[in-house]
Formats: sequence, C-alpha cells, structure tokens
Amino acid sequence: MDIPGKSLLSGYRVLDISTEMGAFCGKFLRDLGLDVIKIEPPAGDPLRHHPPFAKGHENAEGSLRFAYLNAGKQGITLDLEKSEGRKLFLKLVEQVDVVLDSHDPGYLKSLNLDYNVLQESHEQLIVVALSGFGQTGPYAHFQAPDIVTTAMSGLLYVSGTPELPPCMPPETQSYYYASTYAAFGVMLGLWQREKTAQGVYIDASVQASLAIHEHVAFTYSAEGRLVKRAGSQHQHVAPANLFRCKDGYIAIFATHRHWPILLEVWEDHPEELDDPRWKTDMERRKHADWLNPMIESFTSRYEKEALSDLLQKRGIPGLPVNTPSDFQRDPHIQERNFFGQVDHPEIGCFQQLRVPFTVDGERDAPSPAPTLGQHNQEVFHQMLGLSNQELEALASEGVV
Amino acid sequence: MNTRTNDILKGIRVLAFTNAYAGPYAGRLMAQYGANVIKVESKTGGLDTFRHFGKDVDSSPRFIECNLGTRSITVNLKHPSGVQVIKDLTAHSDVVMENFRPGVLNRLGLGEEILREINPGVIILRMPGLGGKGPKSSYGTWGFNLTAYSGMTHLWNHAGQERPVGSQGVYPDHLSFIVAPTLLVGALLRRRFTGAGVTIDLAQAEATAYSMGVSYLETAVNGRDPEPRGNSDPMAVPQGCYPCQGEDRWCVISVRDDKEWSKLCAVMGKGELATHPKFANFEARSCNVSELDDILREWTQSRSPEEVMNSLQSEGIAAGVVENGADLMDDLQLRHREYYLDYPTSTVGAMEVPRGGLQFSDMTDGPVSFPPPLGHDTEDILRDLLGYDDEAISQLKNEGVLS
Repeated sequence: MDIPGKSLLSGYRVLDISTEMGAFCGKFLRDLGLDVIKIEPPAGDPLRHHPPFAKGHENAEGSLRFAYLNAGKQGITLDLEKSEGRKLFLKLVEQVDVVLDSHDPGYLKSLNLDYNVLQESHEQLIVVALSGFGQTGPYAHFQAPDIVTTAMSGLLYVSGTPELPPCMPPETQSYYYASTYAAFGVMLGLWQREKTAQGVYIDASVQASLAIHEHVAFTYSAEGRLVKRAGSQHQHVAPANLFRCKDGYIAIFATHRHWPILLEVWEDHPEELDDPRWKTDMERRKHADWLNPMIESFTSRYEKEALSDLLQKRGIPGLPVNTPSDFQRDPHIQERNFFGQVDHPEIGCFQQLRVPFTVDGERDAPSPAPTLGQHNQEVFHQMLGLSNQELEALASEGVV
Repeated sequence: MNTRTNDILKGIRVLAFTNAYAGPYAGRLMAQYGANVIKVESKTGGLDTFRHFGKDVDSSPRFIECNLGTRSITVNLKHPSGVQVIKDLTAHSDVVMENFRPGVLNRLGLGEEILREINPGVIILRMPGLGGKGPKSSYGTWGFNLTAYSGMTHLWNHAGQERPVGSQGVYPDHLSFIVAPTLLVGALLRRRFTGAGVTIDLAQAEATAYSMGVSYLETAVNGRDPEPRGNSDPMAVPQGCYPCQGEDRWCVISVRDDKEWSKLCAVMGKGELATHPKFANFEARSCNVSELDDILREWTQSRSPEEVMNSLQSEGIAAGVVENGADLMDDLQLRHREYYLDYPTSTVGAMEVPRGGLQFSDMTDGPVSFPPPLGHDTEDILRDLLGYDDEAISQLKNEGVLS
C-alpha cells in the first residue's frame, strides 16, 4: 500500500455517522490520514447551525464549529430513517473499515442497524460507539451534553477558583477528549483485525474517558484526599501560578531547582526570601498566599513575552498566558508552520490548525469541511456504482 | 460477556524513556493493552520525578498510577557501555518513546539517525512541549504553563473576570498521553504496509491548541479572539453550575428547548414560569439569564446534587452531579463498567486505579501488573532478551552501568 510521507496512516475508510459528541473523533482519524466519509441527514447535521459563525455567513455553511470538526472529511447525505437509506448505508458499510457512531444508546438498534446487522454486511467491521456514559448501565440513557459529562467525570469539580462556582474549560473538551480516546480504540481495533481478521465493537464512554483525569478519583482512592479547585495554584509547588505582567499574565512554575535562579534574576528581591527555609517546595507552597503577591511585584515590571524569554534563558519554565491570536502570532508557532491556509467554498480563505504532530518532520496541509452533500456524486457513484439517474430518483424521494 | 483479556498489543515491545505524567501514562496505555513496555531509568540522576511523591522510590502512588503494566530497568546512559545496552535494546524494540527535552538523546549518542540505523523499522515517538524545532523548542514546559501558552488558560474562565483563572491541572499532559498511543498504534499499522519505521514528534502545546480549534477558527476568520464564557452555552439556556446542599456541593443543569424548560418548571413546582413572557421561549430566556440562574439556584441549594440529577434526568432534562474524587469512586455507572483496576493488597495499601474510556466486545482489560521495584527487570531483560551472559552482566554491574 502506498502511504504518502506526510500523513501517518492511509488506506482505511471510516463511515462517520457521529453527532456533535463524536465529530472530533472523525476529524482526528482524518488527520491521522484515514479517509472519513461523513453522513449527514438530508437536512444537514444540526451542528451546521451551531455558533460561532463566520461573520456574514450565518447559514448552514458558515458554522465554524462544523467547519473545524469536519475539516477534511468527505460529506454525503443519507436518510437512515428511510429504508432505502438504510439499504444504501449497509452497502457502504461493506466497503469501509470503521463505522463511527455517537447517537444515544439504542438509536441504531431502533433502525435495525445494530452491530450484529452491520456485521452481516461486513464481518471484519470495527464499530466505535461513543456515548455519554456507555451503552449499558444505570446512566446509559442520561442526557449528556458536554457540561454534564464534564461534571460527572470530576474535571469540573477541580476547575476554577474557590471564590466562584466550578468553571468549564473552553469548547466541548469532554467530547474532544473522549473522541481522542475513541480514536485510540479504532487504532487498537484495526491492529487486532490485521492480526486476527476479526472485527470488534468498542463501547466508548465520555465520562469514563475523562474520569482518568488529574488523579481526581485516584488521589481519593490512594490517599483519601479530595482534590479541590485552586485556580491555577499548583498543589505542591510555589511559585506555580499566574502572575500579572504589564500587558497580561505569565504562568511560572518554579520548583526547588529553579528557586535560587529566580532569586538571581530578581536582583532586588526582598532579603527575607534568602532565608534557607524557602528552599523547599513544601515551605514555599505552604506560604503561597504570602509569596505570590511578592512575585507579582517583580513580574509586573515586565511584558509577558519579555519575561518569559528572560526566565527561560535561565532555565525557569515561564510561559505567557496567550490569547489565541497571541499564540498564532508567536514566532515559534509561525516558524513551525502550525497554521495553514484553507479555501472554504462559502467562507473563503483562512488560517486553520494543522495536525499537532509531524511524521518524519512533515505534516499535511489542512483542508476544509464539506458543504452539504458535496461528495454525494463521488461517493455514491464510485463506491456504489449508482448512476446520475438513480441518484436523482433518491434525491426526489428525500433519501439523499 | 467479557471473556478474554484484552491484550491486542501483545508482541509489541516499547522502550520508554519517560518522565512524570504524559510520557509514562502513554506507555501505561500501551502496556494496558498488552504491549511489553520497558521503562528505562537511572539511579544516577535519571529517575522519574513522580517517584519522589512517596515514602521511597517504589511507593509513590502517582508513579504507580502512571506506570502500571510496565517493566523497569536501570541503565546509566552517561556510561558508554550503558549507551550500548540501549542500542542493543533498540534492535529488539518496535517503539522507542521519550519525553525528554529536545536533543537529550542526541547528546547521549542515541539520536534518531543512530537508532534508525540500528533498527530501520523502529518507531520513534518524541513528545516535546513546544515541539522539536523552532526558536522556543528548548524552553522548559510543564502541563500547567503549556495550558497558558496554548490559549486555553485565557478561555478557561467565567465571563467578565479581571484575572485569568485557568486550571491547577495539567490538561496538555492528558491530551498528549492519549494522542501518543493513538499515533503509536497508527505508526505500527503503517509499518505493516511500508515495512519502514517512522519518527513522530508530538508537540504538546499544539495538541492543546488542536483541542480548541473552533476558537482558533473564530480568531482567524472573524479577526477577534473569543471571550471566556464560563459555564454558559449559546445553544442552552438556562445552563450552569448551581450550588447544592452541603459544603462545596454542586450540580449542573442544561436546558436546550422550550419543552425541556417546561418540564424543568414542572419538576421545580413552578409550572407558571413555563409560559411566563420572560422565559417562554429561547430568545426570552437568553435575555433573562441572571434571573433564571437565581430561580434555579434557589431550587438547587436546598437539595442534594444527586436529587437534582435524578429528578431531572428521569424527565429527560440534562443534569448531573459535579462529582469529586469520592463521588467518582462511588459512581454507579463507573462501577457498572468495572471501571477501576483493583489493587487490594498493594505494597502501598489498597488502591483502585481508573481504567479508561473503552470497552471492547468479548474482552476485558487487565489485570494490569503493578510496577515492579526500580530496576527489578534489568538482569532478566539483559539475559533473556539481549542474550548477555552472567559474566557480562556482572561486569556491567561492577562498572556501575546498570544503576
């Protein structure tokens, strides 16, 4: 099989019938190099109506959420709730390696498309089914928007500052995280299939994926201690927090190794900090509330980028609190070519993230999300051999 | 019916130079699915920093959590014979993974070209914080400051706050330790077709930005950075995190449409609010968010989070307990999934370790072995895998190579 140098793995095909929850999994698989065919209902994926929108394009092709989470996929429309649609779906299943689903548990079964049925079309099929809590169990049918799965995985409890309610991370992190986990499952499934010629059904849970996070459960199990939210204050180290600068904030992480160097860089530091008692992480952490404002009197003399460079030159891990545009403009990121231009038929040209890894030093250019039904002709014609006439008939029946 | 052990990666050997969280956990996930992961450390200045969170180097719970299933050898990489041991191990490995700073293995004489010459099929995975190349690649990074650098800290906040808040945690580590084994198995699959190894650099800062790509698109397309929005969601009103009865107890509630709103009103015993002009439809509710939040708060604060969750979910309304560590250990759903790997008689006391997000049909994960004492497998691996004889091994020991 011919694999171009830039993508990690090509030669596998994924049928992506995922909802909002699993869209990132399809995207990640695409970015690994697999061919991903996204199936939308004829009316379009509801995600097409989710903000944010490109300014002036508040329509089904202008959702930036849809654009990111489906970048690079091929897009076809097919109504799985119609029997003709299901027939075509099963024919497509014969020709793919993986089906990615994230509907509520039981939905595919209600359409008579559960794993056993799909396996009749394709014995070695890998199905990965992502759901909020898993396919079975007491919470299997719970409503599972991102805020609920984030809460019930322990991440929300430890996020934010003690003075305010727990605070969600940006975007739908629990979905993204579990989607990444599900992609790991797909790789494992493919590996097994290559060895044994067997398919597999993978039940991936958002809650169970994210609940490995931050030692939250484990710390309670092993030490009987509850990890609590503490802003950005590190549990064991100080100064390890966010500190004000002239033009924003910097994140500094200084252990016992960095502390003496920090005092050198901070030439006019208060004399009392020279006391040997402050050499241990534990002692500084215990008095972080006293220490942090002093550190800030030092950091606030600098601009965040300049201070970061100054500290890093001496080996102290300090990095600025960037906005997305700070990050994008950073000369380091620019030189790494992390952003690439895509040309979207509706939105136009813009900069989009590439994959976060290089393969033998290279990475693929990013590509845009499909417009609604953009690849119908290609896929139905090439994969299923349907004629234009047949396609038109299906369209008039509302199947595609 | 989970009948057989999930050891899909059986037969794969991984040589792991991993430290702290992201690298070791990535190795653990490979081991959990059957790979033979050999973790290399050195008592002469090359111990995993997580070993220092316990009463001795073998008793750190955090180290144990992140290194389950792995084997342990100690090799002094600053000794030429130690470098030779690593070269011999590389010849017998499918994967070499490391999360040193860029260039460390190079300086030890174990750079990419050398490893590849020894074993053309080896897959090399490096996980530098800011990537292997670029003007800041040598910068010191930590999950926490990578969160800041990637833009995530800025957006991880309630709306309108003066200071950024972010997280004490190390989210970039979590992302990377699940992306990394995905890339590794992908590379193993690739090798089946090409016969050749490959070198992968995973930049943890970029993996974090990749996980907030919608915000990046918004910046790029609309020319302005998005603002923090805390627990709100443009597609659901009301939505938020509300206080419950008890100390630091919280629940979340999310209402997507009028039907759910009307059901929520009924559960709260405030049916009249369903059709109140201020709240009757999505637009109206969006204009009266803080009033809505007050109404919900008043209802939740005299109830337990479990009561809120169960009474709303049974009506099809999204709600959940903001679970803490103790809640997670008792979570009925996680228990249903047999979520915890159980070590009732471990050397550091009973502990249960979260297993992960996946359940494969007809297979069960684990058991996953407890990490052995530091260096426990050194001699066995040199003898059984590399074919060193007793004499060679004792000479290496005497020269301090295996410490």
